[in-house]
Amino acid sequence: MAEPTPQSASVFAAVRANDTFKALLVNPWTYVTGAVVLAMFNSALLASTGKAWGVTTSFAYWGAWAWEALGGNPRSWLYFNEVKPAFLKLSFFTDPGTLINLGVIVGALLACLLAGQFKIKRLKSNRQIVAAILGGLLMGFGARLAFGCNIGSLFSAIPSMSLHGWVFMPFMFCGAFLGSRLLVKYFM
Amino acid sequence: MAQQNLDCLGEACPVPLIRTQKALAGLVVGDVLVVEIDHSCAMKNIPEWAGKEGHNFEIEEVADGQWEIVIEKTH
Repeated sequence: MAEPTPQSASVFAAVRANDTFKALLVNPWTYVTGAVVLAMFNSALLASTGKAWGVTTSFAYWGAWAWEALGGNPRSWLYFNEVKPAFLKLSFFTDPGTLINLGVIVGALLACLLAGQFKIKRLKSNRQIVAAILGGLLMGFGARLAFGCNIGSLFSAIPSMSLHGWVFMPFMFCGAFLGSRLLVKYFM
Repeated sequence: MAQQNLDCLGEACPVPLIRTQKALAGLVVGDVLVVEIDHSCAMKNIPEWAGKEGHNFEIEEVADGQWEIVIEKTH
């Protein structure tokens, strides 16, 4: 790849110093701005796909597709037949949730690159790896037991006037409290 | 007036903030703590906390996605 010429580097520096660019793409938005934008996008998503935003159901699908690729038969599982029968008709590229999750990852990368804040971070310790794996397992398992994470069961549930979002909220805070106690006690 | 460095590179929320709070508690008034971070959310919550506590602070971008927060203990 060609080295950036001094001229193109200075153009990029000038763009980054532009106040509008900074306000939109470099500095963090306020919570209110973020909330309004999220609410608008979630409404658009509900209108176009018929379902409000959710994240972790597709993770269960990914796991099932991986298991299927290894020779397993997740299509016979009770979970996919009774709880999520939609799975039986979907594939990686036709599941809206999967495409949204990929969009979140690509969008986050783009935002990071535009803000000039992309950095490959080092793993600090083995303890950090254990904490990440354990935390991921607990959150993933919990999200399946609760039929959703803080997005599907809280962020999308409450504006849908569903009671389950309000039930989810106090228990999510209990989990977050316990999780942070564990983090401080064993992983810092 | 001593200066202490705190390496929080590679650490995610809320670890940098909690480590900053602990490190600052161990310093005396007038001392300076330099916190190195590469997690953009720590760039928001550490200065927010330092401001609320009434300490002097400054943020400097030292590289792409890497910052130093300099905090002077005032009380």
